[in-house]
Amino acid sequence: MSAVNSLVPARFLTIIAHLVIVITIFWSRENNIKACLPLDFTQEQYDNEDKKLVVALAVTLGLFAIELAGFFSGVSMFNCSQGLLSTGVHASASVALLFFLFEQWECDIYWWILAICSVLPAFVEILLFVAVFGLKKKPL
Amino acid sequence: MSSITNSDGNIMYSHIQAVGGSKQTLPFNFNSEEEELPASCFHGNQTWRQLSSTPLQVLLHLNTWYFAAFYLAEILMFIYKGISLPYPSDNLVLDVVLLVIFLGLETLRIFYGWKGNLCERSLASCASLFILFPCAALAVYYLLLQTFVLRLEFILSAVLLCFYSLELLLGLLSISAFSRSKVY
Repeated sequence: MSAVNSLVPARFLTIIAHLVIVITIFWSRENNIKACLPLDFTQEQYDNEDKKLVVALAVTLGLFAIELAGFFSGVSMFNCSQGLLSTGVHASASVALLFFLFEQWECDIYWWILAICSVLPAFVEILLFVAVFGLKKKPL
Repeated sequence: MSSITNSDGNIMYSHIQAVGGSKQTLPFNFNSEEEELPASCFHGNQTWRQLSSTPLQVLLHLNTWYFAAFYLAEILMFIYKGISLPYPSDNLVLDVVLLVIFLGLETLRIFYGWKGNLCERSLASCASLFILFPCAALAVYYLLLQTFVLRLEFILSAVLLCFYSLELLLGLLSISAFSRSKVY
């Protein structure tokens, strides 16, 4: 099935692209934090926003671990719907996070990107884990 | 090995010549669209077990795609760096030449690893592991030692080194499997 043969590497590459951008944002988050604070900010406000963004990024990395575990263990590697969802969602997350990084958007927008583009595929991945290991269905 | 097909085009029986010289007949129900070969089966007086490592094959396949994307990104970043950063021209030439060498080495490594794993041959897999060391050295060069290291290059080379470490581990395990059970 040639469609599946090109879906698997596409899904993998978009996951890695999203991961690379998340790690880049982790590394250079000062400008984004300064963008969501008022012009005269205290160090305490800065540390507050910094902590929130670090928590969001750490949650993203955890959800990546779940999805990559499902992908490499074979549970969802050949599942076409999860592959399509994952490819689309991670590609749009990569584009949105590129804008987040370069246009220095505010920190609140990151929670939206996290909810739509990281929580959703990880949730479907957990459903597939339950279906394969719990309900003993064949992983397609 | 000859086979008898019915009117649907499915293979019904395959005659397999076993080593002992006697002809064995096995019923195979091959769906022409999905071929499911078992990982081990018993015919004649031998048990055939699959020695090729599936995780290694998956990693090599994904590594091919990842290296293609990595190479494209590196070329674009070198164009960006060459224009906007103050390079002494010797260093730029060295970096670009090492990039060309990286392409050749990586292609060779993945080819030998792929063929060695699928044909269960230890010599090709050993060649692949041997070439892995200069490839890893080049990845470390692009991670740490080159003239100007961009953050993106750092992360991409780090992911490539993760691939290499997993492939080294799985390659060693598969070579030990291949060379331990030499039937002929």
